[in-house]
Amino acid sequence: MKRITAFILTMALGSAMLAGCQSTPAASQAASQAPSSEAAKPVEITVVTSYGGDDGNRANYEAAYKAYETATGNTVKDASGTSNEEWKAKIMADFETGAEPDVLFYFNGVDANKLVQGGKVVSIDEIRKTYPDYASNMTDDRLGASPADGKNYSVPVNGYWEGLFINKKVLKDCGVEVPGADYTWDQFLKDCETIKSKGITPIACSLQEVPHYWFEYCIFNHGTPATHPKLPASSTDEVGKAWAEGLNDIKTLYTKGYFPKNTTTATDAETFQLMADDKAAFAIDGSWKIGWFQENAKSIDDFTVTYVPGENGRKSTDIIGGLSMGYYITQKAWSDPAKQKACVDFVKAMTTDEVVSTFGATAVTALKNGTIAKSDTDSLEQAAMAMTKGATGITPATQDGLIQTARTALFADIKNIATGKTTAEKAIDACLAIKS
Amino acid sequence: MNSTIYKKKSPLAVFLIPAFLFMALFLYYPFAMNIYNSFCNITGLGTAAEGFNSPWYLNYGKLFQDPIMNTALFNTMLLMILTIIFQVGIALLLALLIDNIKKGTQFFRTVYFFPIVISATALGLLFNLIFLYDGGMVNQLLLKFGVTDMIDWKDEAHFLFTMMTPVMWQYVGFYFVIIVTGLNNISPDIYEAAEIDGASGFNRVRYISLPLLHNVLITCLILAVTGALKVFDLPWVMMGAGMPMDQSWLTGTYMYNQTFTMGDVDYGSTIAIVIVVIGVVVSQAANRIFKEKDY
Repeated sequence: MKRITAFILTMALGSAMLAGCQSTPAASQAASQAPSSEAAKPVEITVVTSYGGDDGNRANYEAAYKAYETATGNTVKDASGTSNEEWKAKIMADFETGAEPDVLFYFNGVDANKLVQGGKVVSIDEIRKTYPDYASNMTDDRLGASPADGKNYSVPVNGYWEGLFINKKVLKDCGVEVPGADYTWDQFLKDCETIKSKGITPIACSLQEVPHYWFEYCIFNHGTPATHPKLPASSTDEVGKAWAEGLNDIKTLYTKGYFPKNTTTATDAETFQLMADDKAAFAIDGSWKIGWFQENAKSIDDFTVTYVPGENGRKSTDIIGGLSMGYYITQKAWSDPAKQKACVDFVKAMTTDEVVSTFGATAVTALKNGTIAKSDTDSLEQAAMAMTKGATGITPATQDGLIQTARTALFADIKNIATGKTTAEKAIDACLAIKS
Repeated sequence: MNSTIYKKKSPLAVFLIPAFLFMALFLYYPFAMNIYNSFCNITGLGTAAEGFNSPWYLNYGKLFQDPIMNTALFNTMLLMILTIIFQVGIALLLALLIDNIKKGTQFFRTVYFFPIVISATALGLLFNLIFLYDGGMVNQLLLKFGVTDMIDWKDEAHFLFTMMTPVMWQYVGFYFVIIVTGLNNISPDIYEAAEIDGASGFNRVRYISLPLLHNVLITCLILAVTGALKVFDLPWVMMGAGMPMDQSWLTGTYMYNQTFTMGDVDYGSTIAIVIVVIGVVVSQAANRIFKEKDY
């Protein structure tokens, strides 16, 4: 009798363990057939965005999603991170292992191809069949169609631009004039030398973690707005040569000692702290960085933003920008009746004209009515507005055309190019050899 | 009753089957699949294999030509040696010192054990601040002492010290507690007899404590050697992406990077097999070299 009891207990324990592991189609079926009244109950949605870490728009993002929580009763489980190659890789891994979020704020170029091709995200057309006013405040032509199938999937917030942030106080202390629209690369090198001679770091940049912006503009300096978005086939074709020359410009900046001494080991946050502490003069970054300066600068008037110095075929006033990111609703959340409306409401709440207007000053927007001008813009925001309005050309970042693994490999090699451990040509060819 | 249990083995099998199934499902099957994956072309987690590599042993050839893999293996082996010297060595020293004091033993036990209960990620962030180039605690102290050139503690000249110090520090307490427990198990009568025979403090340690701690120390050494293969979190947080200049990779961090960041799942699987093989070989070697004694 005891043996029978032991056997029954063992089998029960084993069954319980297996039951815990198996999927429960019955349960999920029940969920999908739940009455519509269930969907109206407050739900928790998981959201991943790039407004994590020290992102300048973190506070705006938090304020916006908390307003959504208050208005709907739903809760947002925020899993945002800082946009870098590791963050992108983690998002892809989450999708591939079935751990994707309900709403994702992510790039809309080649980076999202796997999500589109794998049917992991829902197109705007599909959503509009049920919710016709979804993203109705946006101009469809500017939403950023997926390169995978030409359909729109993501709803953008703010367009971006990349520019040269300047610590005016440092320049003044070094006797260097604040540059303007006619700033050339040669003048820039001369100014860097002057700043370095005063014992101050000319350029705040981590070649270890975020060399992306210097890569972009250094290459742009050997092309034009028309040629810049093109990818090379090899390091020897025209675009490939431009890339190699641009990468060698970074090497020159490193060799001359214009980057921080620890640029091959520093994090992006460490190097930007140099800007806040008046220990560095220049940094290239994007429109999203304005909030960081507003939060970290002792006085915002000590900082400005202008065009990155140009050379060759590129005018200084040609800038990199566009609408590269937006909110996606995942197929997993869309198929869940309890979450579908909550996700749609969330994206709508995060992309209203009012909310979009709080996310950094830029003239690049998909809003039909344009952004609503803030009444209390500071000097940095005014400089940014002036820069985007005066741009003679705008082109998307060429790195967005690379698949994530190729881009990761190339950016990991930039420190090796700068320090002479590899050549620009070898790094380009190694990157291009990586196929999805 | 007892005789029935020992004679008939079938009831034991009933109890072992669920555990065996669990092991088979979550250990042996994934390991077998990992070996299979190492021969395939897989470009993302959860992505189906695009057939076998050409040639099928491509990744194994790549292992021998990959300079970063050599660096990772070297660092891992170095970590094993440093673990033995510093983690177990310092723990032994501290335990012997604590064993000789009358008051405050519990306090020191708690103090030395404390780092183990803190998350490695938190420790990584803490040590990042300590070794920060601009404004870090160590560099600030150096400035106070008149050093004018700050040190980049993560550069090629200093990264080993910066990476290994917190790893060593974190687990000293673990071995310390094991050794102290071993010391407490030595009968005070033996020490008393030795004292009557005129054994001094050092001779007590040399001829009584160390020989009687032999088996405890062997356990610590085997744990330290095999544990070194699993070190991942602290180096990943502090020296992400092999900083500096791909010099700080360990087999674990490199495998993670290839699999999750680079999406080269099949190569990551190959590195995982290397880790398992090294683990089996090293633990077998450690078991043979450090043999326990019967007293």
